[in-house]
Amino acid sequence: MAESICRALRDGALQGEHAPALTIKDSIVSPFGFHVFTHLLTQLSSNILAAKSQSRGLVLVAFSRSPSFYLDLLNRKGIHVASSQKWIEILDCYTDPLGWKDALLASGYGGSLSNEASTGASLCRNVKDMDKLYSSIIELGKGIVGQGKVRFCVAIDSVNEILRHASISSVAGLLSNLRSNDRVSSIFWLSHSDLHEDRVTAVLEYMSSMVASIEPLNQSAYGHRCNWERLPLLKHNFWKGKFHVRFKRRNGRVRVMSEEFYVEQLAINFRSISSEDEIVNRSLLPKVQFNLQLSEKEQFDRAKVVLPFEHQGTGKPIQIYDGRRSLTDGKSEAEPVSTGILQTNENSSKGEIIYLRDSDDERPDSDEDPDDDLDI
Amino acid sequence: MKPTTSKSTAERGLYPLPIMASPEGALVVLFHMLTFREVALSLLLLLGSLSFLSYWPDVHNLWLAGVAGSREPPPKSESPASTRSTKAKPVNNNIVMATSKPRTSSFSRNLATVPSSTPGLKYGPNGTIFISSGIPDLDKILGGGFPLGSLVMVMEDAEAPHHMLLLRNFMSQGLVHKQPLLYASPSKDPKGFLGTLPTPGSSKDDKSRDRDPENENGLRIAWQYKKYFGDNQYHFDSNRDVKHEYCHDFDLRKPLEKHFISGQHIDCVSILDSPNLAALRDRCATFLAQFPRNDSSISSASRIAIQSFCAPQCKYSNKEWDMVSFIRSLRSMVRSSNAVAVVTFPPSLLSPSFSRRWQHMADTLLSVRAIPDEDKEMAKLLTGYQDMVGLLNVHKVARINTQVPVILDATTFSIKLQKRRFLVLESLNQAPIDSSSGTSYGTSASCSGSSKTGTLDF
Repeated sequence: MAESICRALRDGALQGEHAPALTIKDSIVSPFGFHVFTHLLTQLSSNILAAKSQSRGLVLVAFSRSPSFYLDLLNRKGIHVASSQKWIEILDCYTDPLGWKDALLASGYGGSLSNEASTGASLCRNVKDMDKLYSSIIELGKGIVGQGKVRFCVAIDSVNEILRHASISSVAGLLSNLRSNDRVSSIFWLSHSDLHEDRVTAVLEYMSSMVASIEPLNQSAYGHRCNWERLPLLKHNFWKGKFHVRFKRRNGRVRVMSEEFYVEQLAINFRSISSEDEIVNRSLLPKVQFNLQLSEKEQFDRAKVVLPFEHQGTGKPIQIYDGRRSLTDGKSEAEPVSTGILQTNENSSKGEIIYLRDSDDERPDSDEDPDDDLDI
Repeated sequence: MKPTTSKSTAERGLYPLPIMASPEGALVVLFHMLTFREVALSLLLLLGSLSFLSYWPDVHNLWLAGVAGSREPPPKSESPASTRSTKAKPVNNNIVMATSKPRTSSFSRNLATVPSSTPGLKYGPNGTIFISSGIPDLDKILGGGFPLGSLVMVMEDAEAPHHMLLLRNFMSQGLVHKQPLLYASPSKDPKGFLGTLPTPGSSKDDKSRDRDPENENGLRIAWQYKKYFGDNQYHFDSNRDVKHEYCHDFDLRKPLEKHFISGQHIDCVSILDSPNLAALRDRCATFLAQFPRNDSSISSASRIAIQSFCAPQCKYSNKEWDMVSFIRSLRSMVRSSNAVAVVTFPPSLLSPSFSRRWQHMADTLLSVRAIPDEDKEMAKLLTGYQDMVGLLNVHKVARINTQVPVILDATTFSIKLQKRRFLVLESLNQAPIDSSSGTSYGTSASCSGSSKTGTLDF
């Protein structure tokens, strides 16, 4: 549910808590992760500009697209980048991540290389150093919002690019440091799940509090024979997909939501899922036993029932009750009914034993000695 | 004189004397097959073996008493009297019979009736000593608590922080009992976690949860059998001293009072920045060296709590063999000391073969799992779904001094917070099936999904 994600990112972190972190996960069968990323980016930016969110600024760490792309994108969506108050900073890790251009310039080769100096972007030349990356993100953020208690958001373009240069444990360290920094309001990143091992995806999901995964509409097996008649349908369905979100809530439960999306011309729209194939969460249903515990009221009522075989405690000889109406005066009789219903307990408690004899016509001893009925 | 027909043994064959059979059956067989002299001999042998058998449980008890230190000697005075009485009576009577005098059976287990001098330790059978996990229900499920010298591993769920609840209760219980604690975590400042430990709730007002619902004082229906009851109802209440309870109920909303934390032997270690595990191993070794296990009486037990051991931000987290060897050495160190170590780890971050290795290393293996929120299917199926925060599975229970495993009735429990404060584990109960639908849960009317058997089972 894109709305809830936007709300969660907008609301940010409580005091003393880690910042909410979102992983956007896609794969080659439905490669629209970047669309979701830009959608969230624009939503968050408009929230920041309208002062609806906890954060006052945004630091965008751009790995897979150039900063100018983002500026164009935001301008196209009607979000003014060059407004009076600076609210966005872009850390440019796209242009020269490993510092090669600098090295070339230094050694005199790249005279013709133009030095792009885009507005609002600072260059990062060494993405292998996670500490340096962390400190530059924090510095940029503090540059936007000042020194006080105001927070800022962080958006990382693509974690896969960082993972090319650094190990997963250092990237995990970076993400957890960012989350636990008390100036960061929320953080989200994009990851393509089939570019790395499963363990990397598991680590990213472990570090995040929300996981949004993008899946195709029909989960068909990879490499099955291409059905030529279904090709137009497949093509049509390519632009649609399912958007699943798992929220880790504070009470320890996981909220699972999903909706459908469709993409048209770089814009992505979300709509709620049509409930034809409801995914039934059957994985946790146990083979449970029945509830044999009693509630308090039930226990109380049970305690009040006088069982006929109990020790009456009165010192009188014990009479075994066998349902006949000829009983001692100790038990209070209801109005004598000829069908033989007798109530054992007349008071207001609900616990009663009602014994219905089959028939009262039988001779009194027929229970004990059934052979008397036989006529031999 | 009548010639005695004495056939040679070779002709008759050797009849094996049925030692364990019932005396009457043995008598019948004997009288039919053998001569009178042989019958008399075999009867004497039978009596001798049976009297030996009635002594034998006492021998067993004596051995246990020797192992576990000071214990009351078994009721030896009764059994010779009983065998003497059976020898005097004719053999036709049953050896084991209900006498009018209530005698405790010589097969009774000798649980320690002497209260332990150190609070926080409980003596169990087979010479094991338990310390409390901090959660009363978990102690009950595990048969007394965590045995000293065992390694407890808790498998986390990446989506829920329930392992923190278990760790917090474990650590708080240790601090309340003044047991030294070593805490390691992947955060930069582990000491901060101590501020989130819960305080013991007041022990008086929540005895509404009956500890032993089956322990009724009398029998209601079979009251005629009351006169056969011995006095074996004592050991339920022996450790119920209010001040030094074995296991406290912790109120998760209130933090632990300062006097429990200050002045205590608490070590906090951050495992975030260490490139290898040598430093942690040294810390554990020095900590555990203070509590060696020997035959003298125990002064105090100690606790080790390691949180999220393979957390990805730790620098050693990609060295899988190093982590396995650390766990193995930790287990061996704990085994030879009076300590319990609790290690939590998220198994999804390990490769499957290593996850299996870690699970095999554990003496007690628990796992916590998250439950989906606002899941209508689960709400219909389980009672008390609203209060549940998660699920706890017990995979393995430590049995150190015995070969008899623990077989639990149920291995899955729901974690609930009673009154939002106290951690309670309950076994799962199915909600009553709606009478209108009338179908079992497998084919419920509203869903069309396949009825896969769940990963939870009983």
